[in-house]
Amino acid sequence: MPSVTVSDLRKQYDDVVAADGVSFEIDRGEIFGLLGPNGSGKTTTLECIIGLREPDRGEIKVAGIDARRHPRTVKERIGAVLQTTSLQDKITPREALTLFASFYLKAARPADLLERFGIVEKADAPFDSLSGGQRQRLALALAFVSNPELVFLDEPTTGLDPQSRRELHAEISRMKTDGHTVLLTTHYIDEAERLCDRIAIIDRGRIIATGAPHELIAGSTTYQSVSLATATAIDPTLLAAVPGIDDLAIDGTRTTFRTATVSRTLGGLLHELDARGIDVVDLRVKKATLEDVFIRLTDSGPREHEL
Amino acid sequence: MRAFLQHLAASLRLHYRNKMALIYGYLFPLIFLLAFWVLYRYESVPLVRHMGELLTVSVLGGACFGLPTTMVSERERGIWRRYRLAPVSTLTLVSSTVAARYIILITAGLLQLAAALGAGMPLPAHPAGLFGAFAFVSFAFIGLGLVMAMMADNVPAVQALGQCIFLPMLIIGGIAVPLAILPEWAQHFSMFFPGRYAVESLQACVNGAGLGAVRFQALALVIIGAGGCIAASQMFRWDAQQRFSRRSGKGWLAVALAAWAIVGLMSEYRGRGAARTTAARTAAPVQPQAPPPAEPPRVVTTQPALSPAETRALSSSPPPPKERPAPPRVAEKPAPKSSATEDAQPQPPHPVRSSWQEVTIADIERDLIFDRLPSDQGIVTPIAGSDEDPDPEVADHLEYIREMLPSWQPGKVADPVQRVRNLLYVAAVPDVQQTPIERFAPHAVYERLQHDIPKDQLIKILYWIAVHPTDGDDAAVDQVWALKFQSGAIDMQQVRDRAAIYGVKLLGRLLGKIPEGVRPGSDQGQTPDHRADGLGSHVRQ
Repeated sequence: MPSVTVSDLRKQYDDVVAADGVSFEIDRGEIFGLLGPNGSGKTTTLECIIGLREPDRGEIKVAGIDARRHPRTVKERIGAVLQTTSLQDKITPREALTLFASFYLKAARPADLLERFGIVEKADAPFDSLSGGQRQRLALALAFVSNPELVFLDEPTTGLDPQSRRELHAEISRMKTDGHTVLLTTHYIDEAERLCDRIAIIDRGRIIATGAPHELIAGSTTYQSVSLATATAIDPTLLAAVPGIDDLAIDGTRTTFRTATVSRTLGGLLHELDARGIDVVDLRVKKATLEDVFIRLTDSGPREHEL
Repeated sequence: MRAFLQHLAASLRLHYRNKMALIYGYLFPLIFLLAFWVLYRYESVPLVRHMGELLTVSVLGGACFGLPTTMVSERERGIWRRYRLAPVSTLTLVSSTVAARYIILITAGLLQLAAALGAGMPLPAHPAGLFGAFAFVSFAFIGLGLVMAMMADNVPAVQALGQCIFLPMLIIGGIAVPLAILPEWAQHFSMFFPGRYAVESLQACVNGAGLGAVRFQALALVIIGAGGCIAASQMFRWDAQQRFSRRSGKGWLAVALAAWAIVGLMSEYRGRGAARTTAARTAAPVQPQAPPPAEPPRVVTTQPALSPAETRALSSSPPPPKERPAPPRVAEKPAPKSSATEDAQPQPPHPVRSSWQEVTIADIERDLIFDRLPSDQGIVTPIAGSDEDPDPEVADHLEYIREMLPSWQPGKVADPVQRVRNLLYVAAVPDVQQTPIERFAPHAVYERLQHDIPKDQLIKILYWIAVHPTDGDDAAVDQVWALKFQSGAIDMQQVRDRAAIYGVKLLGRLLGKIPEGVRPGSDQGQTPDHRADGLGSHVRQ
């Protein structure tokens, strides 16, 4: 039985449909990623599942329990880190964990959580004195105060420094090792590719692709990226006769394009260059990445590795 | 229950770590107390007549600013949203928040009370009742605070909303400004505000007849509190993104407003007379019970209270003498020490009169100081000079009083002391109300007294009233309105005090101590009217 089943989830705010018939399943023990650009509906979907928002329609089952009918039962079994979680300035991590532990029937010991998430030294420091990474570790500790079967992480690494981000990635991988099921929303493609067993790409409130990262790459395209540097700039008209060139871009002596027929296109290109005496300085052929898949499916422009 | 207690404890801990919250929650009430103590420093029993106002201001600030500010601030930061992820009910979290606020309020109230006791205020007459009244007041204002927390989208909005409620309630809602000096429309207006009922409930337990005498006020507070709680529960928001203007359920605000309207209409229905009587009863000062005739009394009165307007007048006057004005007193045998008599020092023995008939000129010479009365041109117990002509409207009213007094029933009662006392109320009531007739009504009263009571008797009776201002009954005040005086709530203690001072002033005229027909206060021996100077200082220590 899947840990999470979402069927035909819909949520509308005024004129904006944030989730439009969203459906997916998450298997027990897997890390499932909801990948999408800002405003695509991934946070709305997650918040409907954990009971922060009431969907307009749809069915949500968490650990086999109807989450819409029995939200408190579901809340006993899940933990979550929201996109922005803040606490009172003067509350300490120990006090926060003790307070939140009192909300659950079977709560973890605050001391164990302080130890596990590496905030023992800051256990009695006020919240406003914690660094961003420490606050995020406290947020994770709060998510684990319920000894959760399922963990929901809403863009957990946004705004963290690289070191904190790496630490959090390690922690998320540990969750899987410990047998937790994880739903992770992110707009970092590399994060999704690195951490997730399966991914659902969501755009404009709709799931547009679901699968393991390598399946999505393999299944979505046979295109490969070609990048070559030449001794002198190439005249674009020269390439008109070369078959199979898409998305051509020429920047001085650097030429890039995509092609589904690598051998045939490269053969024709090299022949033309040789006929005109243009030397190739550098030539690279790269397989399609998740980013390519994402861009193609969502029609979004890349911002380095952030979408 | 575990969640309730943990959240309650956490809320209190966080409150006590917040310096600004401590300043607002505890320091400000003490500053208010200090301000009132300074303003009313010439009252013989410090602060006792203002604890209702002081405690109400504290609760109002804590419940209508502190509570919503905390809740909205936490909601803005996403803390309530985070709570919502946990399997804990809204009721649990809101209840513990409210309980924490109540503890904060009651500790602030106790601190204020302790400071007042330290300043010389006697213990409240009804401590248990005061605790109950405080709970009712807190409930009403916490309900209001919860509604504000649900309406305000951010902390600045809380401040704006709070001011919209705080200031009107303070000024025309019966909290900081006595209702008696407000215009009639404001007195009606105040019936729709909880502040009035809060002050009356608390004051009744401090120096009045207790909570049992203010059942309507308590009911009004419960209705207002319940209306607020119901409305807030239906408008509850976990998330700062749920803006009030876009939320459904705004209509529930009508329930809170309806509660105010119901209370106001109920109050109107009960009638102004009831309100006035209640106000008078609840404002009754701490007084020892009248002793049996066999034991000559040691009478201690409180000083007349200063209204804010009067206090403003005082502030522009020359500084008062260092000597604290003393209340009229006739003392021989010390009464059992009570909170109200603590400041009464033993007096040298002198003959104690058991009835007004025994009064002698020697008693008057010994006990009264005519040259230290408040100026006739001042604010307290003014009397127009004989060369002054009233405005036509006032003149008509004065003529009406003159015509009506002979047939006015309280002015015809058999007991001559009560009769004189009743007639003095006719001068005292407009003085307390500060109406235009106040400076001329004493003339009508004086004429009536001279016409009705033989001079030798009148001299003795006026002395008797001056030194026994709290004796007799004050039912006549309810009939003073037949003389076309302004209606509304009135502080009976003030009326009695002013009647006593008028008694001495008229006595001074009868004895030739104060020349008639001139304006005392300048060159006729009376001191200029520094309120404090005159109040009570006409009676020798």
